[in-house]
Amino acid sequence: MKNTRHLSFSVNGEAKEFLVAPDEKLLDLLRREGLTGTKHGCGTGSCGSCTVIMDGKTVYSCILYAFQAEGRAIETIEGVGDFDNPHPLQTALVEEGAVQCGFCIPGIVLSAKALLAEIPQPTDAELKVYMDGNLCRCTGYEKIEVALHKVIAAGSCGGAK
Amino acid sequence: MKLNEFIIPEDLKSAQSALEKLGEKGFAVAGGTSLHFLGIVEKTAVDISHLGLSGIQKQGGAYLIGATTSLGDLMKFKDQGWVLDQVALHTSTQQIRNISTLGGNIVRVFPWNDFPVALLALDATLYIEGVAEKAYSSDDYFNGQPIRLFQPGQLLTRVEVPVLKPGQGFGYHKEVRLHAGFSLMTAAAVITVKSGRIDGIRVAASAGIALPARLTLVEAALGGQAADAASLQQAVANGTAALAWKGKEGMSDEYAAHLGRVVLMDVLSAALLQAQGE
Ligand SMILES: Cc1cc2nc3c(=O)[nH]c(=O)nc-3n(C[C@H](O)[C@H](O)[C@H](O)COP(=O)(O)OP(=O)(O)OC[C@H]3O[C@@H](n4cnc5c(N)ncnc54)[C@H](O)[C@@H]3O)c2cc1C
Repeated sequence: MKNTRHLSFSVNGEAKEFLVAPDEKLLDLLRREGLTGTKHGCGTGSCGSCTVIMDGKTVYSCILYAFQAEGRAIETIEGVGDFDNPHPLQTALVEEGAVQCGFCIPGIVLSAKALLAEIPQPTDAELKVYMDGNLCRCTGYEKIEVALHKVIAAGSCGGAK
Repeated sequence: MKLNEFIIPEDLKSAQSALEKLGEKGFAVAGGTSLHFLGIVEKTAVDISHLGLSGIQKQGGAYLIGATTSLGDLMKFKDQGWVLDQVALHTSTQQIRNISTLGGNIVRVFPWNDFPVALLALDATLYIEGVAEKAYSSDDYFNGQPIRLFQPGQLLTRVEVPVLKPGQGFGYHKEVRLHAGFSLMTAAAVITVKSGRIDGIRVAASAGIALPARLTLVEAALGGQAADAASLQQAVANGTAALAWKGKEGMSDEYAAHLGRVVLMDVLSAALLQAQGE
């Protein structure tokens, strides 16, 4: 690869070095590192399935150049929870039947996590604003909202970073 | 989009000198969200997001906003005379607001960009820094594609927006098909009311016209008039008759003209109500 350079940033709390080409997107880098929970959806910064958290804020990794992550902290769905140790958001989404095909869910979980870390008890309006960059073509959003309200009411991930 | 190389400079001066040396072969990347619209070929990206140009400060009668302040931070900032939170709230999605910067939104203007219209209505001042700093009024800055004003090595560093005072009101509206869709019509207005009359008015529009611009005929028709709905209606009808509205996404030009008038009435009415303290 031409003009590749070493970059360092942390992924899920672990400091790492990557060899990066100038026009490589963060999404492609994460997926080639085996972090395939971050999905390639629209590729144009519209659907939200590629959402990751960078320094506490959600971004679309499909339009973010990998070099823009230099020195930052990236969090992907792999750092949030898994089958054995699901995050309260993941548990609530499953319990409420909010997961159908599941393609959008990593992005939904990360957007909700970033919201609740910043605003543990969001209003309905705040919830809609912070979740407005994640599309779901299966559920019609209602069950997702119910699941998020369940977590908010339980206060089970308020303030979690 | 093809990037040749990227540079992550330590400070503003290094960024400027890298950009100056690169000339046409380099360009600044703030949030980088516009790159797939721009189709930049074989250029070197200079990352300007870490240079300390972010943040909002209130100083005297104005807010000083760093050029790399994210739209998300504009949305979260709250103060009595601050209105850009209303604009940011309707800009695209949270993931875009988190990374897109005010500077990126107003250096290379796309028809759907929200901030040029708002800054024109608010009479903002824009600062471009190279060897020296130069201040532009929003009228001069947006009188064409702003990128025309930048020499290699020059960057937009900050934007100064007046604090809205009692007796002033702000209105902003963008018409979209979908929540995060591109604008079909955007308008913003600031009205000052004194003794029941319109003492000051700035109104701007975009998306439905070629580039963001002030609607000076509407302003002229409103200045000094009674501060009521009838004055607004008459000014919008008379002041927009000669405008070349452009329909998009299946809208005819005639429909765009109708939509333009409706959106203008919305923003002027909102600005008037706020100016009257309602
Ligand atoms: C899917 C999608 C939908 C969107 N919808 C909307 C919308 O509805 N409304 C809206 O307003 N915006 C919207 N945007 C964002 C908008 O189109 C631009 O992409 C964004 O505002 C650019 O900001 P940025 O910080 O990412 O700039 P960049 O992409 O980094 O830069 C944009 C241009 O400005 C130059 N530049 C940036 N900062 C400076 C500076 N300080 N000095 C000199 N030059 C500079 C760059 O060299 C480049 O030419 C959308 C974006 C996407 C991807």
